[in-house]
Amino acid sequence: MRESVLAYRGARYLWWAVALSAGSIALYCTQGGLQRPNGGSWQGYVLGTVGAALIVWLTLLGVRKRSYRSTLGAVRGWTSAHVYLGMALLVVATLHCAGHFGWNVHTLAYVLMSAVVLSGVAGLYVYFRNPTLIADIRTGGSRAALFAELFELDNQARELAKHCDAVTGSLVKSSIERTTIGGSVLEQLFAADRSRILRIDPNAPNAAAVLVRNTDQQAAINYVSDRLTQAEKRAEPSVLQSLVTVLCRRQVILRSIRRDISLSAWLKIWLDVHVPLTFALLSALTIHILVTFIYW
Amino acid sequence: MQALLRYLRQGRDRIAEYSDSEVSAASITVGSAADRHIQLLGHDVAPKHAAIRPAGDSFAISARRGARVLVNAAPVRTARLTVGDKVEIAGHQLTVIEAPAGFDLALTIQPNEKTAKSEFEGAFKTDLDQTLLSKRRTAWNLFLLISVLTLLVPLATAVVHRTGATTPAWIPDDTFWTAGPLIPAHAQAVGRRCEACHLSFFAPARDRECRQCHTKTADHVSVADLKLTRLGPAARCGVCHEEHNAPDGTLVVRDDSLCVTCHDAAHDKFGTLQVEKVSGFARSIHPLFKASLLTPPPRGSAIVAPLKVTPTGEPLAAAVNWPAVRTPLRTGQEQSHLSFSHKEHLDGNLVQRLSDSAPLGCEDCHTVAADGEHFIPITMARSCSGCHVLAFDDEAPERQLPHGKPREAMLMIEDYYVAKYSNPGRVTAPVAPRQRIPDRPVTTVACPSGTPLTRGRCQANAEIVDQFTRRGCASCHLVSDQGSGDVHERFDVLPVRLGRDYFPDLHFSHRQHAVQKQLTRDAACLSCHKARDSIRSSDLMLPELDKCLECHSDHAARDRVQVRCVSCHAYHFER
Repeated sequence: MRESVLAYRGARYLWWAVALSAGSIALYCTQGGLQRPNGGSWQGYVLGTVGAALIVWLTLLGVRKRSYRSTLGAVRGWTSAHVYLGMALLVVATLHCAGHFGWNVHTLAYVLMSAVVLSGVAGLYVYFRNPTLIADIRTGGSRAALFAELFELDNQARELAKHCDAVTGSLVKSSIERTTIGGSVLEQLFAADRSRILRIDPNAPNAAAVLVRNTDQQAAINYVSDRLTQAEKRAEPSVLQSLVTVLCRRQVILRSIRRDISLSAWLKIWLDVHVPLTFALLSALTIHILVTFIYW
Repeated sequence: MQALLRYLRQGRDRIAEYSDSEVSAASITVGSAADRHIQLLGHDVAPKHAAIRPAGDSFAISARRGARVLVNAAPVRTARLTVGDKVEIAGHQLTVIEAPAGFDLALTIQPNEKTAKSEFEGAFKTDLDQTLLSKRRTAWNLFLLISVLTLLVPLATAVVHRTGATTPAWIPDDTFWTAGPLIPAHAQAVGRRCEACHLSFFAPARDRECRQCHTKTADHVSVADLKLTRLGPAARCGVCHEEHNAPDGTLVVRDDSLCVTCHDAAHDKFGTLQVEKVSGFARSIHPLFKASLLTPPPRGSAIVAPLKVTPTGEPLAAAVNWPAVRTPLRTGQEQSHLSFSHKEHLDGNLVQRLSDSAPLGCEDCHTVAADGEHFIPITMARSCSGCHVLAFDDEAPERQLPHGKPREAMLMIEDYYVAKYSNPGRVTAPVAPRQRIPDRPVTTVACPSGTPLTRGRCQANAEIVDQFTRRGCASCHLVSDQGSGDVHERFDVLPVRLGRDYFPDLHFSHRQHAVQKQLTRDAACLSCHKARDSIRSSDLMLPELDKCLECHSDHAARDRVQVRCVSCHAYHFER
């Protein structure tokens, strides 16, 4: 499916985009004479009209995707054309404005258009890259399976913690309760880990508990591992050994979950930029055309 | 409070299994998060779903906003709990039971067996859809923001500005609509007032606004001439001078298409106007040069001048204004009324500078004016008197005739000779003449007898005739001999007829051409002006088109300097 979008019908729309770009360049080169190339020459108006029509058509992909009964071509074909012609738009619009930029609504429209196209390119990139990586993480399963295993490991760890000394038990329990996964947009995108543990500080007066970082669950694992070397009761090493094993497995699962969430978030976030900026572009484009004729 | 939580699960063979745990906390928290006292899984269970707190002598459950809690099958936000009450959250059953001794509250918890462990994911925000991100909301907010800031607010300021009022600089105004910066000169004149040029919406800037400042710029074709052509109405200023599109800071159109679009089709476009066809700057596509030469008006012409004034201020009653007529270089001749040989003056064997005895150079007489294009006019005082003096009697070389005042000169000669013969002792001893050029030999006049007055007059008349026919004035000027018996009425020095500019509608910088390839100074001048071959004042000495083409071309070429039409020609003329 992913490959077929670009290779749809022998990359037919790639050649459309190349032809459109070449034609635009040829038209641009006919400018000159009395005026420097600019968006106000007849060539500039043609390029601008083509660019505006392209923007409107590219936006209609969102409508076409929701029109399940439409007979206006396959969505795959639309998407393939959307990708290629969207990139050709960058050429058409740049030639339309002839590289004249300034602090004005016209350049704002160009910047928004570029941002929309670039976010689309970013989306294309993650669509090719991330699904494979996500599949590798899930090893044929699903993210839900990872969470099920995590839930099971949490319960195992809690059960084992009951058989440990009070300090170790509360530390393990807090490491489970204060494990963070996902969260805000940035936390999901960058796989942020703000996990903490409550550790009783033996040096503090009244053995007060302090909240310390437990990034990647390493602090909890280190504590239990250290505790293992100091075990006194006969059964304690066995329990602690099992606990370390569970915590380490938990560490691996948490890494996978966070990476999975991050890759999935990147797979979506570009569209959260692409779509709103498209609306902003439509607004700026309309105003760009309007004010061109207000101050003719 | 102390709470007993009794988990009830179906074990193997569907036998119920109990698992008790004790909690000591201010409230019992319920949710899918791992830190809840009662952790329940499921899509419909929020991480922090609800809490059970003491309420007087009993307890109450309160659900978070949006969290669904049923108490005895009725959805509630908060509800008091008494023994026997059944709380249902996403299929999980919580039942309040009689608390054993030592406990304030006891609950049996029967998890929903249909809930998979995988639904633990619901305890976390693992999808962007669960965050504040909203494509739709952001899209419409951006749409409105841009519409307001870049259209509605500037439009309001544009209307306000048209009333003469101003708006604070921090408010986005209609300058945000600009298609590009103004050229610096216009930016200084107009500032941020778009309405200075754009008076009306949806209409191009009018010429009237341009002409408010540019009062002296005339059209390329006058209104009267335009009617004789097929060019149609004159184009707006903005068609050629496109503002907001001049990154180099000039609105002057330099492309040849400005000219050749019409002039290449001169036969078709210009109607009855006599305009030569021009397609570019090369042989056969550009007309040969024509110089504007002062030419006598035809007989009976109405161009009869008012009094002409000589450079020295003396009125010349006979003078008339000569019109400048464009004349092909190959046939054109100066009619300057001068007699001058450039060849002789440039010959080092004949003429040397007084200061260093070196041959004369061009710059000894011709000085480029401040504009680099024209020359400071040649005058007797500035250019000739260094070598040439107007002495008329070798016995009194300090006596000089006034230049440009022939009547006074005649009277001076007469006064001198009458005085000389009346009082010979006043005549000084002869000294060697100063000038380097031997004038023609003085004609000896025999006035041997008579009174000092008659001898003086005789000698004066002879000298006047000599000055006006053989030397003196006649050395450089053409003199009209009327043949009158009265010597005072006999001669007229014809006025000098040198134009100020051979090509008044062209730009040509002599200063820029002072160095040509390897040529400098006189060599550069003489490569165009064949002064070494000129023995007459009538010689034009102007280079033809071919000379320009030795170095210039109308297109980019490696061995040529490219010139445009407007490099030499002016489009607009000053009024």
